[in-house]
Amino acid sequence: MIFIKKIFLLFRRELKLSYTNIVDLFSNILFFFLSIFIFVFALGTDEQLLRTIGLGIIWSLLLLSSTLSLRKFYEEDFNNGVLIIMHMRGMSYELIVLLKILSHFLFVQVPFLISIPLASILFNLSMYEVYNLMVTFVIGSLILSCLGSMSASMNLLNKANFSIGGIIVLLFSIPIIIFSVGINEAGSDFMSLINILIGIALIFLGISPWASATFIRLAIKNT
Amino acid sequence: MLLINNLSFFRDTKLIFENINISLVNGQITQIRGKNGSGKTTFLKVILNILISKSGEVFWEGKNISKNIFNFYNQITFISDHNTSSRKLTVIDNINFWKGLSSSKISDEDIFLLLETFNLKKYINTEIMYLSAGEIKKLELLRLILEKRKLWILDEPYNHLDNLSIEILNQTFVDHTNNNGIVLFASHYTPPIAKLDILDFN
Amino acid sequence: MLISLIVVIIGLILVYLSPLDYQQGLTVKIMYIHVPSAWLALLTYTIMTIYSIIGIAFKIPFSFIVNKAVAPIGAVFTLLCLISGSLWGKPMWGTWWVWDARLTSVAILLLIYLIIIFLNQTFENRDVREKTIAIFIIIGSINLPIIKFSVDWWNTLHQPASVSKLSSPSMDSSMLQPLLVMTVAFSLVGLIIAILRIKAEILIRKNN
Repeated sequence: MIFIKKIFLLFRRELKLSYTNIVDLFSNILFFFLSIFIFVFALGTDEQLLRTIGLGIIWSLLLLSSTLSLRKFYEEDFNNGVLIIMHMRGMSYELIVLLKILSHFLFVQVPFLISIPLASILFNLSMYEVYNLMVTFVIGSLILSCLGSMSASMNLLNKANFSIGGIIVLLFSIPIIIFSVGINEAGSDFMSLINILIGIALIFLGISPWASATFIRLAIKNT
Repeated sequence: MLLINNLSFFRDTKLIFENINISLVNGQITQIRGKNGSGKTTFLKVILNILISKSGEVFWEGKNISKNIFNFYNQITFISDHNTSSRKLTVIDNINFWKGLSSSKISDEDIFLLLETFNLKKYINTEIMYLSAGEIKKLELLRLILEKRKLWILDEPYNHLDNLSIEILNQTFVDHTNNNGIVLFASHYTPPIAKLDILDFN
Repeated sequence: MLISLIVVIIGLILVYLSPLDYQQGLTVKIMYIHVPSAWLALLTYTIMTIYSIIGIAFKIPFSFIVNKAVAPIGAVFTLLCLISGSLWGKPMWGTWWVWDARLTSVAILLLIYLIIIFLNQTFENRDVREKTIAIFIIIGSINLPIIKFSVDWWNTLHQPASVSKLSSPSMDSSMLQPLLVMTVAFSLVGLIIAILRIKAEILIRKNN
């Protein structure tokens, strides 16, 4: 019972923190729309062309803009020692990582969903495609949160090379984008592709707490 | 009691400290004194099992701490040199977080009283980032009383504090040891406490 | 070292003597570079994965040394594989590059190798660096089965495996022999470079 209370406490804190950082979320969304504009300016305003490639563009830009603020995943809690304090009060690093991933998913990635219908209007996508986009983004963003946790914890002690974190997220997000964008031509294979995506999400939900916790332990030992 | 047996620590083959034997019995205040870079913080981290030493053991109440580390963690309050409070949250949010984290039973009136003594009550709904360094440090030290643990381990508790707060802190230490508590802190400033034991790290 | 030189020379002679393909002509000889380098790129990554798991599980510093020493070799093999494949693809398929599952996954392997090399330059603390790279290698090894089975899972331009069917290799022995000799030669060259690099790394660490 006490344990569940602690978990809720952590969620509440994350919610408050993301509420105070709401500007950050909105600037990511702003970045997303600005990059859509830039894409459209570069490609021209041919309606047919935009409709065919719109989905791919939206997905890749969603990916890019949600990787922008991943660096902050653990940085603050690590630098001011909250991670150690939470660990000392009986939470393993794996649990902390899992809660962080879930709260990042709920409080940062899910609010991003509101921008998808707006972006779809800009590209004249059909309702079916918007629906697909929303469904795949919900699953894909869970994977992105896992990847973000891994790359952020990997780069806690990285003082020199800031772009490597983003590179790692993009590298492992290749399968997500293949299956998510492929879902539109799937037709009857719709559910199997969704299942593949959920499978990938579960794999990363399994790997990332272990990997991130190892990285965090390493970082804490070596500061 | 905390018993430290033959503890040595190497960071990549570089010796930080060697063969330290001390025992902290109930009601004892111990200061780790040493100049900058003498390994005070490292020593505390080794005791807390954040850094793992290859030789030597730490015993708490007769049991090796690495056997059941959460049992040991449950008995201590560790105040590190950093400011653990989140800069974007208000004072009361931070206090509630710590309270819930350590499942402390302390009542709200007591918290207000504590904030009053440390002259922090007026900031209760202010974000931490608007507080001065000394006020943040005082807020950190509130955790000692909030969590009500037996062993207090502190790293540089006297940083940024003014004279009045130092006096209150010393009084708190003495009160805690009178209730059979143990205090271990690392600092280069030696406070005027009568029954202070000193572990020299030079 | 002498042995490997001899094997390389024998391999080159065998390649020179090997028959021309009746469809592909002279370009088929690219295969004797392309296939061994692809195998070795995969083999190198497999070795790194195994050493990373050993290093993380049993805390053996030697395996981290191997990881550091071997990564550039694997990167070079992968690059060789991609370049030779590209040179082969131009006359055969008409393009330097197609977005085919096998090609893309090997390109991703190259990216992973490059990231490993970059990570080696990134962290200041040696312990952090080694373990970070090891975990990254383990996670990145997801790519290996994808490369291996990409030709079976997706219908691709790239031809499926023709040597690994041991019972009845779909390749004539006059072509198989030089291929195998070249593979041995490539692995010996890789091994020698790896041993030299590992020795150098150990010496550097001893001096510090």
